[in-house]
Amino acid sequence: MSPIDPRLQEALDGERDAGELPADLREACARLISAAELLQTTPRLSVATHVMTEIRQIPAPVQSHGPLHRMIRWFGRPRAVTVRLRPAWTLALAAGLAALLLLPSQQGSIPTPRASEGIANFVGHFPGARSVEVVGSFNNWSRGSLHLNDDDHDGIWHVAAILPAGPHEYMFVVDGERWVPDPLAGRYVDDGFGAGQENSVLFVRPAAAQP
Amino acid sequence: MSCKLVVVLVVVAGPLMAQSGSTRLAGRVPAAALPAIDSIIAAAVAESLPTEPLVQKALEGSAKNIPPERLVSGVRRGLLQLRQARIIVRNAVPPGQAVAEGHVAAVAAALARGVPGPIVERLLAMAPNEPPGPALHAAADLMAHRFDPDSATELLVEAHNKGLRGVRLLDVAVAADHELQRPGGRTPAEALAHVRAMLPNVPVPEAAVTRHGTKGS
Repeated sequence: MSPIDPRLQEALDGERDAGELPADLREACARLISAAELLQTTPRLSVATHVMTEIRQIPAPVQSHGPLHRMIRWFGRPRAVTVRLRPAWTLALAAGLAALLLLPSQQGSIPTPRASEGIANFVGHFPGARSVEVVGSFNNWSRGSLHLNDDDHDGIWHVAAILPAGPHEYMFVVDGERWVPDPLAGRYVDDGFGAGQENSVLFVRPAAAQP
Repeated sequence: MSCKLVVVLVVVAGPLMAQSGSTRLAGRVPAAALPAIDSIIAAAVAESLPTEPLVQKALEGSAKNIPPERLVSGVRRGLLQLRQARIIVRNAVPPGQAVAEGHVAAVAAALARGVPGPIVERLLAMAPNEPPGPALHAAADLMAHRFDPDSATELLVEAHNKGLRGVRLLDVAVAADHELQRPGGRTPAEALAHVRAMLPNVPVPEAAVTRHGTKGS
């Protein structure tokens, strides 16, 4: 750091008239004074205000998408979610979920049969079938009233139904057009229409007699 | 007065019963077959035979799209079986006892399953006041599994004499079939003898139905 000329220092301190200085010192004095004035001036706007002003001057993008598109974009964007749980509520929620998973499901259960009725379970292995229904004397051979289900798509179709106790003749109808006797029924009877086709025979036990 | 009333009731009830069958068939049975089936049902009503098996046979044939001629033939065959069944029931029940409509239908179903008339008569005589369906189906089951009809009937009569009733007679047939299929190769006669030895304690088949079989009994 070079020492400042004493004459320049005196001029800056107001102890000497700057006009009395040599030309080079007079020029240096004038630059220092203007620099000091610049430092003392308070900016009219803060940096943040200035930036926001600039942003506001940028034209806003035109919203050309509909509400559905905006909603989809809203769902698609990652968002921070804060969940505040009380330990007591957390434990209760966990217990409820465990009960749902561990307790036997009541879904798909059928009502209790009366004494003169029994439960018949129809099961058939029809891989690739689109639909299977059972039609018989218990539903007046009407289509569409007792469909089998294959929820896990393993080709094994099943339905349970409450039927009047006693003997019933029936057949499966596969894909709405193919009449098939139950290969696992164990009992069959000629249907009497002369084509050698057989109905399956099911003897429904009354509920009172079921072990 | 009361005699006239009874006659009127019978005369009116006949066509009404036939009509109820016809009403159920209208719209489901092909028009070409309906008059003939109506007359068959009317004949059953006139003979005091049960009409429900005939209505069911007509509905079944219609659902299966059986051609009208064969449909009528199938229903007529049902009427003939009902007539034969009533003769058998009349022979089996004690004199003076009314012939139950349910008995006639059950016997007709057994005849359709191939149970010979004399076997049916023996089983009816075994328990004339009980619903014959289970015993007749048990006999049909045993015969379907190639057991000797007379030996099978004797087994069922013995089971009845030892207190088994109703669907428990079906358990006798199931037990005999299990004995026949047991590893080691039992003959039908041996299987029947084995079941006879365990009477009346034949096992009750599992009620729960596996995913591999249709079970009611």
